[in-house]
Amino acid sequence: MSEQQEISLSILKKRWLKFKTLKRGYYSFIIIISLYVLSWFLPVLINNRALVVSYEGELYFPVFSGYYAGSTFDQDVPGEAVYRQLDAKWEAEDSDNWLLLPPYPYSPYEDITVTGNKMFDAPSRTHWLGTDNTGRDVFARLCYAFNISISFALILSSLNYLIGILIGGSMGYFGGKFDLFFQRVIEIWSSLPMLFVIIIISSIIRPSFFLLIFIYTIVNWIGMTYLMRAEFYREKSKDYVAAALSMGQTNFKVMFKHILPNAMVPIITFFPFAVVGGITALVSLDYLGFGMPPPTPSWGQMLDVGLSNIPKWWMVFAPVSAQFVTLIMVVFIGEAVREAFDPKVYSRLR
Amino acid sequence: MTTYFIRRILLMIPTFLGSTILIFVILQMAPGGPLERTIQQLQAGAMQQGEAVGSVGDIMGGGSSVLPESALRELKRFYGFDKPIYQRYLIWLGIWPREIKHREVEFKDGATSAQKNVGRGNYMTLKLEGESVGVYDDKGVNSDVWKAAIDTESSKDGVILATIFQTEYSGILTGNLGISYTYDQPVTEVMAPRFKISMFFGLTGMLLSYIVCIPLGIRKALNHGSAFDFLSSVVIFVAYSIPGFALGGVLLVLFGGGSFWDVFPLGGFRSPSEVWETLSAWGKIKDQLWHAILPIISWSIASFAGLTVLMKNSLLENISQDYIRTAFAKGLQEKRVIWVHAIRNSVIPIASGIGGVIGVVIAGSYLIEKVFNIDGFGKLGFQAILDRDYPITLGFLVIVVVIRLVANILSDIALATVDPRIRFK
Repeated sequence: MSEQQEISLSILKKRWLKFKTLKRGYYSFIIIISLYVLSWFLPVLINNRALVVSYEGELYFPVFSGYYAGSTFDQDVPGEAVYRQLDAKWEAEDSDNWLLLPPYPYSPYEDITVTGNKMFDAPSRTHWLGTDNTGRDVFARLCYAFNISISFALILSSLNYLIGILIGGSMGYFGGKFDLFFQRVIEIWSSLPMLFVIIIISSIIRPSFFLLIFIYTIVNWIGMTYLMRAEFYREKSKDYVAAALSMGQTNFKVMFKHILPNAMVPIITFFPFAVVGGITALVSLDYLGFGMPPPTPSWGQMLDVGLSNIPKWWMVFAPVSAQFVTLIMVVFIGEAVREAFDPKVYSRLR
Repeated sequence: MTTYFIRRILLMIPTFLGSTILIFVILQMAPGGPLERTIQQLQAGAMQQGEAVGSVGDIMGGGSSVLPESALRELKRFYGFDKPIYQRYLIWLGIWPREIKHREVEFKDGATSAQKNVGRGNYMTLKLEGESVGVYDDKGVNSDVWKAAIDTESSKDGVILATIFQTEYSGILTGNLGISYTYDQPVTEVMAPRFKISMFFGLTGMLLSYIVCIPLGIRKALNHGSAFDFLSSVVIFVAYSIPGFALGGVLLVLFGGGSFWDVFPLGGFRSPSEVWETLSAWGKIKDQLWHAILPIISWSIASFAGLTVLMKNSLLENISQDYIRTAFAKGLQEKRVIWVHAIRNSVIPIASGIGGVIGVVIAGSYLIEKVFNIDGFGKLGFQAILDRDYPITLGFLVIVVVIRLVANILSDIALATVDPRIRFK
């Protein structure tokens, strides 16, 4: 690469190139992103509803159009058609009807009420990771829970960032009474055991996904706020801010157009670790029974079932391994991002 | 310096008040509190006997067939719901008189005086004096122990209802955390043994992680980039990515005798007391350790990664400083440079973390206590929330808040002690 080109590269691009050279983090990044994107297509990958059913010349798309009673396909079951059995039956009869099942034909919600499902089925070729206390497939639930965990952590971290940048930024930038007031608030807030406060609130109102994020944000915004306050406070005293102000820029513009890009390094490098915190928090809350409302698939809830039934080892190993693999990849990303954005001679956590 | 710490300690007061007000309001405003719960339980009992009952709302409004009005008043007084919230808070703090030894007195058909037995054959005479009620003993002297007030809410036409009571100042500031609803014992008595259990795990865990992390961090820093550094980094990443209670779960499955090895017990602080009492002193120690190993491992894992990396980085940063080069340049031995010059400066950030660790040790342990079924402090607080046992919940939170506030100051003091350069203003 010639010198000319190197100068023209933006700093962000340089950091991205540096990040790409850090194989462990870069591959983790690619894997996590692809898995997360893939997890949005789970309904067509892991589901008990058939993708396509061709029955007596007509085509049905149960995954997309939803419920079909068993009687629609002349199947003698109560309620919804059981497509796996239908498939086996038609196969055996060698009939003209056919259907296409998703690659892993179990839903995270179908429990013991569906014939053929057993409680605590050990891992096997049909149920890769066994079944849980109500006969639901553990692997299917694990995958759906991955999507929920990552989404939860991403939204939570972004919200925390938004509040942190707005309040923390204003605290650092304006200082004075506003700063003092919020410093008291933060001190009070941080003296409380937060998981406990969430449990108290969750025990009063049964939270949904977004309500849980909302509650968690209320109690969890201080960390980022404090970080941003320090950052804005330091940047404020620099010459470029004085220059921008003397040119008549508004406070708003100075904060978000001038200071914020300069405070970007801690914002970006902290993000993966905020995600780690979010995932762990959700697992803890679900484990205690104050997280997502049942029957939402969640690692914490599975862990709870497993720990109440110690001999069913897969109920503990499956969620812990899933969480562990996810977290360690995010930590790898975090380490690489930090290395790329804020190089030091040694590795750092947090 | 001293003024700084005095100011810090004084600043604890508004923070303490702020956080307790916050907790108090959240708990007291919450629906499904102890009063409603008790009513529901009574209602369920009545339902089983086949009586027609109204909803909780009906009962609260006084339209109940199960609960006589006087019993409802009694309940409300017991849980303190007969007072506005700010008074309840001040009573709870102990700076507003708490009414005790309630007795109800009725003034029927326009009567202006009534007698009430206040125990041990003593009678008090109550006289209506406009809006207030005077209390007189048998000699006709105004009593200064007993007080009385008209219950305007429950008084109906013709009948005026009053309560006679004593007052005292007792609340958290006087060391009275109230009486637990579920255990029927003073909160402090319920908490003391459980607090000791959590302290045992917390302190051993903390000690253990310091003993492991500091030498490990030093070794990693000195051999930065070596195979040992790389391998231990892998361990650290693993430890960082697995929460303590999840690790506890895995350990239980592996060593708890479910499907794999039966090495350690499935939980509990120690063997049940029938067994425990029969053990010899040495047997007790062994039994305690046998129960404690898995929880302590899970406990320490949380701080393991952070502490080791902190120690390593701190030492690495110091080694690259000029004063180390100077020390080498004047011909000191490497051992002396590292162990006397560099390490003393490197433990500073670790020392400042002590306060934070104490806070986490005591409050952040209920997940592990739940996994290992240890009746510790955190589990008590968690269970109290489930049971709506407000005295314990509030007492728990107060203790945690105080510990954290004190711990913050402690870490500043620790920092100032180990690093004479630091002078707070």
